[in-house]
Amino acid sequence: MDARLRRVNKEIADCKNDKTSNIRIELIDESPFHLKGSFPGPDGTPYEGGHFEVDIVIPESYPFQPVKMKFITKVYHPNISSASGAICLDILKDAWSPVLTLKSTLISLQSLLCSPEPNDPQDAEVAKHYSTSKSSFEDTAIYWTQIYAGGPGPKEKKGKGSSRSDVRDEVAIAGLEKAHVDQFEALGFQRSKVIDVLRRLNYRGANVAQITDDRVVEELLK
Amino acid sequence: MSLCRLQQQLLSDSVPPRPLIDEIVPMSNLREEYENGSAAFVNQIDSLTARGYDSVRRTRGDGDCFYRSLAFAYVERILQSPEPDFAVASSVSALAATRDSLDKAGIDKIVYEDIYDEFVGLISTIVQPNSAGKKLDSAGLLLAFQSPEMSNAVVVYMRFLTSAEIRVHRENYEAFLIHPETHEPMGVDAFCANIVEPLGKEADHVEIQALCAALQLNVDVAYLNGGSEEGVVDFIPFRYASGSESLPLVLLYRPGHYDLLIKGKQGEQELRH
Repeated sequence: MDARLRRVNKEIADCKNDKTSNIRIELIDESPFHLKGSFPGPDGTPYEGGHFEVDIVIPESYPFQPVKMKFITKVYHPNISSASGAICLDILKDAWSPVLTLKSTLISLQSLLCSPEPNDPQDAEVAKHYSTSKSSFEDTAIYWTQIYAGGPGPKEKKGKGSSRSDVRDEVAIAGLEKAHVDQFEALGFQRSKVIDVLRRLNYRGANVAQITDDRVVEELLK
Repeated sequence: MSLCRLQQQLLSDSVPPRPLIDEIVPMSNLREEYENGSAAFVNQIDSLTARGYDSVRRTRGDGDCFYRSLAFAYVERILQSPEPDFAVASSVSALAATRDSLDKAGIDKIVYEDIYDEFVGLISTIVQPNSAGKKLDSAGLLLAFQSPEMSNAVVVYMRFLTSAEIRVHRENYEAFLIHPETHEPMGVDAFCANIVEPLGKEADHVEIQALCAALQLNVDVAYLNGGSEEGVVDFIPFRYASGSESLPLVLLYRPGHYDLLIKGKQGEQELRH
């Protein structure tokens, strides 16, 4: 049996036998080199209560080359692409070493959820949101955890319409204020376009005062 | 594919990379590279040749050259021992004992047991024929170290030994751990995780010391660095072998790179084979 297969089999078995960690690794298809990892979102973070799945590809020269991982579950986090699930983490790149395992790497992803690094972003828009208004960022991350990762949703925010519904709130997904979107929609622009532009402009928190209405309209007219 | 990229590819295909570790070549091979350049380097090479170091075994400059060349010299020494049975047995028992220190350093069995088995298996075939009924000879050793799977497994085991030595005896090393690029002091755990354990990260004095201590080796590092116009070459000794008469393995350092330096008789023997 080749060295890579031997090691991966051991790692899968080890993870299965470890009842204390809450990391799971499963096969996706027949191949032992394409796997799915999962773990619960860490407590005390916007990801609490969510279940996060990660696509794992074991390269030919594993463990000498880093394992390839990306989130299958959509995550709102500065170091994770909100579109593709790509992850910015040093150990998945040049800081990889063969001392790391699938389990320890998944644990590192779990701790990445606890400690965002907005200065080394994978998703620049999300990182800007994080730096501009932490509380608004957290609301959005909690909402994403609710709709994509099965999280519990916001903790009793009175009258904000947080009751679960099948309709996804595009404004909340974009991390914007309903009032702001309504304001520009009322000028006759398409709602989806308004959401797109306000998201790109990072129209949140203290930033709102920095961005003139003219600037927004200019973008909307492009 | 664009024409430009095609040309680039042809160009890079036409220059095959140096093998991970190469056949022994005469010192003149290295000298040629400096003949149109630094006189200090040429003088140093000539003085090494005059001291009997007339050959060199070159390694690929991939950041693993120190670990790869040292491991190669380590196994080759066993292979050339006049008492191979004894040399293999003592190496295997010394390596078996290193697993304790990896455990103490917190390196997971899962990540080291396979590469340990490969390395010990390779050394054992010096005296015990492998499944194909063949014992390890010089050619087989070179081939093993040129195959990425075996060669990198050995390099990783060397890195783990180095890391474990530093982690377990941290008091001996922590004052000397410096980031190779920023030159900032580093803690033991960060140094081991970021500089020692990943493949492709170059080794410096501390790592040489730690690996020699872990394997109980005597090593000399000859510094070919253009530091002396008269051609004087400093040999830095690392002495960790229990039997003090053990001849050192000799590495040749050039800025950012390590090869193996070989003295006359040994080189001739090799070349004749």
